Amino acid sequence: GLILLFYLVFYGFLAALFTFTMWVMLQTLSSDIPKYRDRISSPGLMISPKPDTALEFYFNKSDAQSYAEYVSTLRKFLESYDDSKQSQNINCTPGRIFDQNDVAVKKACRFNLSELGQCSGKEDKTFGYSKGTPCVLVKMNRIIGLKPEGEPRIYCTSKEEGMVEINYFPPEGLIDLMYFPYYGKSLHAHYLQPLVAVQLAINSNSTKEEIAIECKILGSPNLKNEDDRDKFLGRIAFKVQMTE
Amino acid sequence: EDHKLSTSELEEKYGTSINKGLSSARAAEILARDGPNSLTPPKATPEIVKFLKQMVGGFSILLWIGAVFSWISFAIQLAQGAESPFDNLYLGVVLALVVILTGIFAYYQEAKSTNIMASFSKMIPQQALVIRDAEKKELPADQLVVGDIVEIKGGDRIPADIRLISTQGCKVDNSSLTGESEPQSRSCDFTHENPLETRNIAFYSTTCVEGTATGMVINTGDRTVIGRIASLASGVGNEKTPIAIEIEHFVYLVAGVAISIGVLFFIISVSMRYKILDSIIFLIGIIVANVPEGLLATVTVSLSLTAKRMAKKNCLVKNLEAVETLGSTSIICSDKTGTLTQNRMTVAHLWFDNQIYSADTSEDQTTQPFDQSSPSWTALSKIVTLCNRAEFRPGQENLPIMKRVVVGDASETALLKFAEVILGDVMNIRARNKKVAEIPFNSTNKFQLSIHETDDPNDKRFLLVMKGAPERILEKCSTIMINGKEEPLDSEKAAAFQTAYMELGGMGERVLGFCHLYLPENEFPDTYPFDTDSMNFPTSNLCFVGLLSMIDPPRSTVPDAVSKCRSAGIKVIMVTGDHPITAKAIAKSVGIISATSETVEDIAKRLNIPVEQVNRREATAAVVNGMELKDMSLQQLDEILCNHSEIVFARTSPQQKLIIVEGCQRQGAVVAVTGDGVNDSPALKKADIGIAMGIAGSDAAKNAADMVLLDDNFASIVTGVEEGRLIFDNLKKTIAYTLTKNIAELCPFLIYIIASIPMPIGTITILFIDLGTDVIPSVALAYEKAESDIMNRRPRNKRKDRLVNEQLAVYSYLQIGIMQSVGAFVTYFTVYAEQGFLPSTLLGVRVDWENNAINDFEDSYGQEWTKYQRMYLQWTGYTAFFVSITIQQVADLIIRKTRRNSIFQQGLFRNKVIWVGIFSQIGIALILTYGLGHVTALNFMPLRFQYWFVAVPFAILIWVYDEVRKLFIRRYPGSWWDKNMYY
Repeated sequence: GLILLFYLVFYGFLAALFTFTMWVMLQTLSSDIPKYRDRISSPGLMISPKPDTALEFYFNKSDAQSYAEYVSTLRKFLESYDDSKQSQNINCTPGRIFDQNDVAVKKACRFNLSELGQCSGKEDKTFGYSKGTPCVLVKMNRIIGLKPEGEPRIYCTSKEEGMVEINYFPPEGLIDLMYFPYYGKSLHAHYLQPLVAVQLAINSNSTKEEIAIECKILGSPNLKNEDDRDKFLGRIAFKVQMTE
Repeated sequence: EDHKLSTSELEEKYGTSINKGLSSARAAEILARDGPNSLTPPKATPEIVKFLKQMVGGFSILLWIGAVFSWISFAIQLAQGAESPFDNLYLGVVLALVVILTGIFAYYQEAKSTNIMASFSKMIPQQALVIRDAEKKELPADQLVVGDIVEIKGGDRIPADIRLISTQGCKVDNSSLTGESEPQSRSCDFTHENPLETRNIAFYSTTCVEGTATGMVINTGDRTVIGRIASLASGVGNEKTPIAIEIEHFVYLVAGVAISIGVLFFIISVSMRYKILDSIIFLIGIIVANVPEGLLATVTVSLSLTAKRMAKKNCLVKNLEAVETLGSTSIICSDKTGTLTQNRMTVAHLWFDNQIYSADTSEDQTTQPFDQSSPSWTALSKIVTLCNRAEFRPGQENLPIMKRVVVGDASETALLKFAEVILGDVMNIRARNKKVAEIPFNSTNKFQLSIHETDDPNDKRFLLVMKGAPERILEKCSTIMINGKEEPLDSEKAAAFQTAYMELGGMGERVLGFCHLYLPENEFPDTYPFDTDSMNFPTSNLCFVGLLSMIDPPRSTVPDAVSKCRSAGIKVIMVTGDHPITAKAIAKSVGIISATSETVEDIAKRLNIPVEQVNRREATAAVVNGMELKDMSLQQLDEILCNHSEIVFARTSPQQKLIIVEGCQRQGAVVAVTGDGVNDSPALKKADIGIAMGIAGSDAAKNAADMVLLDDNFASIVTGVEEGRLIFDNLKKTIAYTLTKNIAELCPFLIYIIASIPMPIGTITILFIDLGTDVIPSVALAYEKAESDIMNRRPRNKRKDRLVNEQLAVYSYLQIGIMQSVGAFVTYFTVYAEQGFLPSTLLGVRVDWENNAINDFEDSYGQEWTKYQRMYLQWTGYTAFFVSITIQQVADLIIRKTRRNSIFQQGLFRNKVIWVGIFSQIGIALILTYGLGHVTALNFMPLRFQYWFVAVPFAILIWVYDEVRKLFIRRYPGSWWDKNMYY
């Protein structure tokens, strides 16, 4: 009996102590910005839609069912970019870092869906999947305070030459500097990260073949894309295989 | 039966000739048939078996299981084509390496301690003088065969069992065989039915002390009497040492905890829908976290450190585990001669002028303090000096007298040294008093006589001096010297002699009487031809001068050592082949029988009642004669061992030693036994710890023993006991220290499985704690000084006082261990929170966190992380967790210095090695963190400096808490707290 009581008190004390020290530790943190960001000095790239298994797209352009998931994922992903949701966002000056350090309420820059052209889902509800020109959205990971230098753009290559023609929206895969820096979830609630749509016009005689695509971020000296170990730092590789 | 045969019958039986010996060809034939004349060494375990034993002993099996599981999961992952299956391969390899390396280490340690012994058994090959082909030849003794005729002389070791054919004053020392310390004469006559008792056989490995003999080899090698005993000894099973039992108990305990937690969480993780493969990986992690990989090696090192320390104090330990056995010893069965005593006769008392004088018997006497002014002493000293055949070996003038080597028997040696100490230069005195005739001592006359010229040039008389058995000497006397004057020996003076004689004899001393006579000048002129055969000189009506009594005195350090044993609750039992009276006298003088206690016989004598009427319970002491022991049933022996606290076994044969040892072990005691003879080896083996004498001991005894006493001194055993007890305490501390952090290594796995947080610590990291930072500190605890006088408590109870008891496990696991875990988790959460993952975000993220395809994992601030960025963070977490454990282990190390006393009582800086441990711990952690922080495979990351201090408050808390614990233990002994918190 006594021993149970002892451990009750003992662990109770330890739990309280743990809670207390954690509370003290959390008090030292800002709710806006993490204390350190050295583990994410350079952003990773990611694509949408993201197939469940690995980054491999398999679909039949004449079978709507085979790409329905990709389409719905894209649709969902782009919902937050819908004009109706962007009413609060402002139009910023393109090509310039949008510094709001002195402003208490951080504004988000508007990202017009029309920038994504044929991949905006406006004209083609299937994002090109039904035509054999599937769209993949490439986005750069959000990192608080990151200010890209130069003219960052997404550039994709295919290992197999001549199988696919790659088109970018916005043109040349440019990522506008006005979307940077990001101020964090709590200060920058409506922030939308810039997207680059990559349209893969698959050559009609290259169907049934697995096409490996690698996209990289180029044109900005402070965004890494060649890390030995991190295969997603400033780059992303995926595969597409389309049948008819 | 060869002892009964006549010479010619023997010649016939062995096909040999006494004069010509065997022919070389025949000898070679027999050699081929019987094998060499040497003892087969005890079967050694093959090295490979020893090595493999180390590979599967202790925790190795668990780690092998871990390794095999790692390889299985590697194979499965490889087959499934997963991204990084090699992690598991590496882990398996690392685990296997850990087992193999610790196995090699343990094997090496064991081999090293065995090697110390190997040097002992190496001896100069013995030579024997053999007659073969009618020629005398020197042959190596192992070439001897049955039927060989060998010649031996004083100083030789008998090369085989030999039936003597001709002898000249041959005496052999059979002590290694029978324990009898007196040399025994040997002749060609068949004197006893029992071959062991008959005089015409000399036994292998005994020594010829003096004289010469020729004999025929009748047994060689293992067929000799010694050989048969040696093989008997190897038949006595070796008992497991107490520390081996304790360590086994501990391994079972920890392995039990590891396996049950492992299996429990395997079931939990399977039922939580984790994949089987993942569950297996968790299982490996739990096993690795639970098993203190470095501990067994640490224990070995600690034991060998103690063994080294003991070797410096003249206890050479053969078997490392015996180090601790000595500490748990509760009964020491000690030899008398050489162990408790100095193993040399020394004059202890004198009687002249109607008065007993005591002489100094210490080892390094240079003068004698008794009153030497009486003219009687001058006369006595002259007899002592002159009536003595013993001589110093030349060339020892610079040695202290007591250390000089003497040619002569024990009594004469004693007298020679005694005279040399008091008078100086005995040889010169003898030269000045030229000897003209001499009758040496023999057993029929029981006296020794010599006639000398005197060194007084004015006195032309001859001096006849005589010594011998007191009653015989007295018979030959008509006068007695009192204060230098001859007085008639009346009945009153004879009665005084009797009283003194009885008193000295009662002290167990060997008494000699001395008398002299100045031969009248007119009857015995210068040229008188003395003839010892016809005895043409008077041997009666002499003048009695005095008595000298001798004893083999106790070593001066022994009484102190015995009283230490007494306060340490260790019963000292004397087992000797000597006479009960001598044994009892020595037992009394060293304190084995204390001054106030009485034997049954003493009580009977005091109350003047027959022995049978004495209440046996009243007697605390007992002197048991070997003859009585022979007729005793086991119950009677048990009764004696149980009821008497002070026991002396006298006149015991070495075989009876085994019976006594077994009797003590039946009482549940841990028994230490000393021994030197070959016949002692069964007892030495049977004992929990057999102690062989380094100087007097035979090789067989040294082989059978666990420990060799280099100086043959009982007091060294006691220092050994002290070291043994200390190491037991310190091993407790080491284990407590080591077990604690296992919880801090285990908790991360459990919480990882249950709360699905990112992995807080890696398996490799755990190995770096167990085999890296923690090793030197845990060895350092072996250097800790005792908390209180360990020689003032009773020996530990084998059944109750475990090395690892419940309190130790519970306190380490459930209290300090949990505190450490809390401290480490605070650091872990701090690192994650300051990088953007608040604790609330971390819960339940495991699956996504570890998903290689998710490279935009969102943190609490909306930032997105690639998998690899998360891995880096995870490794930073590992490092932070590792550093926190290390920091808190420093506190753990400090608190483990004592179990009861405050650290401040013990002294924070007294044990310098602890600080070496602390610095090594932090140093290794710094190197791993900052030096190897970029080697990905090790999963260490350079850490922000402040994270080293997050756990410091918890480390301080651990220290303070433990101080409070100890304070309560000291304040309230016997309380609930004491019972539950003292380990």
